[in-house]
Amino acid sequence: MSRKGVGIGAFDRSRLTSAHFASHGSNLRASNADALSTQLSVFRSLLQQFAQTHAKDIRSDPAFRAQFARMCSVIGVDPLASSHTNEGSGGGGGLWAQLLGESVNDFYFELAVRVVEVCGVTRGENGGLIGLAELTERVSKGRMEGSSEISEDDVRRAVETLKPLGGSYAVLQVGKKEYIRSVPRELSGDQRAVLEAVQVLGYVSVGMLRDNLGWETARCKTVIDDLMSEGMLWVDKQTKGEWEYWSPSFMVDTDGAVKEGE
Amino acid sequence: MAAASTASAAAGADASSFRFPREYSFPAFFTRQTNLTTHHAQLSKWSALVLAYARHHRIFRLGLSAAADSDLFYNRRLDRRLGMPDIRELLDFMKKDGRIEYASGGGGGSEGEVVFVYWRKPEEWARKIEKYVEETGQKGSVLTVYELGEGEGTRGTEIHGIDNEVLLKALNVLVRKGRAQIFGQDDSQGVKFF
Repeated sequence: MSRKGVGIGAFDRSRLTSAHFASHGSNLRASNADALSTQLSVFRSLLQQFAQTHAKDIRSDPAFRAQFARMCSVIGVDPLASSHTNEGSGGGGGLWAQLLGESVNDFYFELAVRVVEVCGVTRGENGGLIGLAELTERVSKGRMEGSSEISEDDVRRAVETLKPLGGSYAVLQVGKKEYIRSVPRELSGDQRAVLEAVQVLGYVSVGMLRDNLGWETARCKTVIDDLMSEGMLWVDKQTKGEWEYWSPSFMVDTDGAVKEGE
Repeated sequence: MAAASTASAAAGADASSFRFPREYSFPAFFTRQTNLTTHHAQLSKWSALVLAYARHHRIFRLGLSAAADSDLFYNRRLDRRLGMPDIRELLDFMKKDGRIEYASGGGGGSEGEVVFVYWRKPEEWARKIEKYVEETGQKGSVLTVYELGEGEGTRGTEIHGIDNEVLLKALNVLVRKGRAQIFGQDDSQGVKFF
C-alpha cells in the first residue's frame, strides 16, 4: 500500500471529489425524480385509462367499485379527496370527478344524502345507532328502479364523505357488527358490552347479563336503563318471565332475517 | 250492507296475502315503550300498520274487541299482542291525525266499540267521487247513494264497496263545498252533483 495524498494537493483533491459526489448525487436525485414523475404520470394516465374503460362497471357494479376504491387507497390516492383542495393545479375535484366525470363523485354524495335521510327517519326507533347492513338495505330499497346496486362498502364510504361536515356521523364497530352512529354520543364500555351481547340473540335480560358478564344485578339494570333512555333498546314485557330488551336492529323482515343475523 | 263488516270477517278473506311489516315480527313492538321518543316511533309504526292492513283488506270500520283478537293486534306466532289500553292509546294517536274516528254509538250493538279507519279520509274519498262523476259525464244528473257504493257503474273503481257511512261522510264534504246536494231519506237517498 502506498501512502496517498500527503501533499498540499490532497486538500484540493478531496474538495474536488466531494464536489463530484455532490453533483453526481444531485444528478441521481434529479433523474430519480424524473423517473418517478414519469412513472407517476404514466401510472396516472393508466389509471385514468382504466377508469375510463371501466367507468360503466365502476358506476354499476358495487363489487368492482369497491375493488377500484381499494386499489386507489393502496397506492395512496384518495378517490374521494375533497373537491376544494387544489384549485390551481390542473383543476380541482376529486379523482373520481376528474376521471369519471361528476357522476361517480356525485354518486357518493347522493348516497350520503340518503344515508342522512334514513338515519333521521329511523332515529326515533333506534336512538341513532343503525346496523350497517340494515342501513344499506334501507338505502337500497329507497332507490329508483334500475339504479345501480349499493354495497356496504359504498355506504361506509358515503359516511366518510360526511366527516368534513363536522357532524356526528361515524362508523362504529361493536363486537362483530358495524354500526353507523348519527348522534354525537360515545358509548361507555358497559354499553358496548351489552350491545355486543344483544347481537347474539337479538335481546338481553338482566339475568343473561349477570350470568354471562359476571356483573351485579344493579350494574346490569343501570346499563339497560341507560340504553333504554337513549332509545337503543326496546323492552318486551310479554315474556312470561324476565323482561327482555331487544335491539331495534332485529326489527327485520322474517325472510330477510338471515342477512341481518350474520 | 256488505262493506260494513268488521275486522275479523274481512281479515278471513285473504289474510295470507297481506305482508306484515318487519316490526310485526319484533316482540317488543307489542309492549308499550317507556322512552318517549321510542314510544312515538312505535305509535307511528303501529298507525302505518293499521292503515296498510285496513287498506289491504278494505276495512272501513274496526270493531275493537274483534280487532284485538285478530292477527292485526295479535301475533300468534310470537304469542305477543297489543293490549286494549295500548290499542286505545294508538287510536287516540291516530285520531289526532284524522286517521280514525269513533263511530257514534247505536250502530255497533254486539260489535261493541267501533272506529272508522280512514286509510282514505272522507275528503280524499270526496275527491275520488267527484272525479268519477266528472269522468263518466254524470255532472248534473242524480245518482242514488246505493248506486254509487254498490251499483254497476262504479264497479272496477275504488268507490265500489265503500262503507255506506263513509260514503255519506264523503258526500257531505261535497255538500259543504256546494258541489253536491243530498235529498231523500234513509234507504232512498239521492245525490246530485254540480
